[in-house]
Amino acid sequence: MAKAAVNGKRLIVTPDRCTSCRTCELACSFRHGAPNRPAVPRLRTFDFGGPPKNVILTCFQCDDAACVRVCPVTALVRSGETGAIVVLERRCIGCGSCAVACPFGQIEMDPVKLLARKCDLCGGDPACAAFCPTKALEYR
Amino acid sequence: MIAMDIDGRRVVTEEGRTLLDAAREAGIDIPTLCHHEALEPFGGCRLCVVEAAPADSRGPAELVISCLAPARDGLVVRTASERVKEARRTVLDLLLARCPTSDVIRRLAAEHGVPRTSFPESTDGSKCILCMLCERVCAKIGAHAIGGAGKSRGKRIAAPFDLAAEDCIGCLACARICPTGHIGYEETDDERKIWGRTFRMVKCEVTGRPLMTEEQRSFEAKRAGLPEDWFTKCPESKRRETAETIAKAFEEVR
Ligand code: SF4
Ligand code: FES
Repeated sequence: MAKAAVNGKRLIVTPDRCTSCRTCELACSFRHGAPNRPAVPRLRTFDFGGPPKNVILTCFQCDDAACVRVCPVTALVRSGETGAIVVLERRCIGCGSCAVACPFGQIEMDPVKLLARKCDLCGGDPACAAFCPTKALEYR
Repeated sequence: MIAMDIDGRRVVTEEGRTLLDAAREAGIDIPTLCHHEALEPFGGCRLCVVEAAPADSRGPAELVISCLAPARDGLVVRTASERVKEARRTVLDLLLARCPTSDVIRRLAAEHGVPRTSFPESTDGSKCILCMLCERVCAKIGAHAIGGAGKSRGKRIAAPFDLAAEDCIGCLACARICPTGHIGYEETDDERKIWGRTFRMVKCEVTGRPLMTEEQRSFEAKRAGLPEDWFTKCPESKRRETAETIAKAFEEVR
């Protein structure tokens, strides 16, 4: 799991509370999209029959992350502020190795930009947690 | 800390940054062709030219290559003066003569006020501007499969001895980074052809989607210190699998 961030906060997931309403996915889509063009969400919920069975999946911001290890150009770096592993888009060469290396499927290649795309904790103000109505996602 | 004046704005940056870095950090756009942040600055295309003068000098400002020129305290930089624009037009005029068939260069030249070249046009049909991004990214990855061949006007990008590129891993980094789309390749779900080689694709064990070439897998597994069978599934399959594992684990503790 991720090292303590400078801001001292973590994204805390309590799957038992998830109703799979997918508000978090929507919030993520809008936060990372352009006006009138929501993006593909970077976290997902899985409806396994309602609470407390549902699961929310987002990047674990792993300590010794496979994506970071595999990137040939060091385009994946940990933010000191939030502890999140972020994609430096101007450095990414779109080789796709990280997407295949992440064991949890938390990186995808943007089919238009041909760059890696993952959760960046919204730079310290994750939209998913802000909008989750049941506090299944919290940032504190 | 370094403070400069770029286009009349005060821009603060750190030691070791270039003028291009500083301008971009401040949201000032300078056109580039041979620059990529994954690679060392190269200074090949000269499109990123700007005017710079030390604040205390009364001499004329110099034209400098912003992707190479280090930021220095007190510099006064102009990224779009008449002199800069004229220099850029000359660069594009020359590039257009070299690659008259490149849409990218044609559009860029037109945007900068060069609708056609004033030099004799090259007729070889090549879209290569010799920015060397492909060679440099290939070397950065560590494959060293392609490079410059020939000299002077005959210079081009090729695999050694123009044979099939022995060290190529088929990652497509060269084709993707090429600003003009000069490097061609062919691809199906099963195989990929580039630089005279044909690569078999590794496919997701669950969905059958192509993931990467077998050679890229071996290469990247080695770099990451991970076993080859780490690279076997597409992100969607891995998400599903992880979610199911978590659901099961929770089920057990309840
Ligand atoms: S093939 Fe493309 S990337 Fe390579 S030197 Fe030519 S223009 Fe640059
Ligand atoms: S971008 Fe600076 S010389 Fe090409």
